[in-house]
Amino acid sequence: MKDHIKETLGIFFIAVTLIDAAMFILGMMLQPDMQFGYEAFVYPLIYGAIGCIPSLIFYTKKEMTFKQALVRDLLQMFMIAGLIVGVMFGSIKLTSDTLPQFIGVVISIVIIYILVNVIGWVFDMKTAVKMTEDLKKYQEKITEENA
Amino acid sequence: MEITVKKIGAEQKEYIEIGCHKKDERINEIVRFIRSRRGILTGTKDNRRYSIALPDILYIEAVDEKTFIYLEKDCYESGRRLYEFEEVLSGRSFARISKSVIVNLMKIDSIRPSLNGRFSCLLRNGEQVIISRKYVPDIREKLRGGAI
Repeated sequence: MKDHIKETLGIFFIAVTLIDAAMFILGMMLQPDMQFGYEAFVYPLIYGAIGCIPSLIFYTKKEMTFKQALVRDLLQMFMIAGLIVGVMFGSIKLTSDTLPQFIGVVISIVIIYILVNVIGWVFDMKTAVKMTEDLKKYQEKITEENA
Repeated sequence: MEITVKKIGAEQKEYIEIGCHKKDERINEIVRFIRSRRGILTGTKDNRRYSIALPDILYIEAVDEKTFIYLEKDCYESGRRLYEFEEVLSGRSFARISKSVIVNLMKIDSIRPSLNGRFSCLLRNGEQVIISRKYVPDIREKLRGGAI
């Protein structure tokens, strides 16, 4: 669990950065004249934290198959979308004015979720390449020692 | 050829030295034999007991209360627990990669990220075994020459 929390913390910071970028892009597209107070700095942190909750709920020590992991990831994504949309639009009535924002937020959540996973995978790929290099050196060393 | 066996202190590393005039096929055969006996585990298959040379092992897996030793074509059962294998193999080219698997590092072809959030290693026979994230730092340490 300790390792999973560490991992989730890494995901949190990646998510916060991406949420920040999404808020900037969506804001510029939909409400470029909107002004905020200092509280706007807290929103990415709150949404990032909300986005990490499903990962802690769905955590399992079990070695999952690809299919199981895929189902878990989809459930997580829907849960994150539900939670964030609930927090953002729970008290707002959907009208023709707010509908584009709603759709924009949902699309952003999906893109951010995919990007967080892709970035995580790129980091893992780097680790795997380094490990394979170290492995080859290790195998050569042991083979030489046994020769 | 004269054969001498000398007892040495426990603090010294055990060794075998061959004095010969020429390194010919006869000597090579002796060397091959010694190497083949350097690491041996025992396992059972069809109620028969077998000696298994360490270099032949791909991985050792614990399933429920049983432990299995996997070779390229064979699989043997063992009464030993996985943690016991971990102790016995600690100085060898083996590493614990998950809660239930110890792998022979010499039999890994490559390591890649797995889509289920973990890593997997592709073995030389084409099989894949999962590496849990928890064990990644220890494996990296071992590959870099650490004594884990």
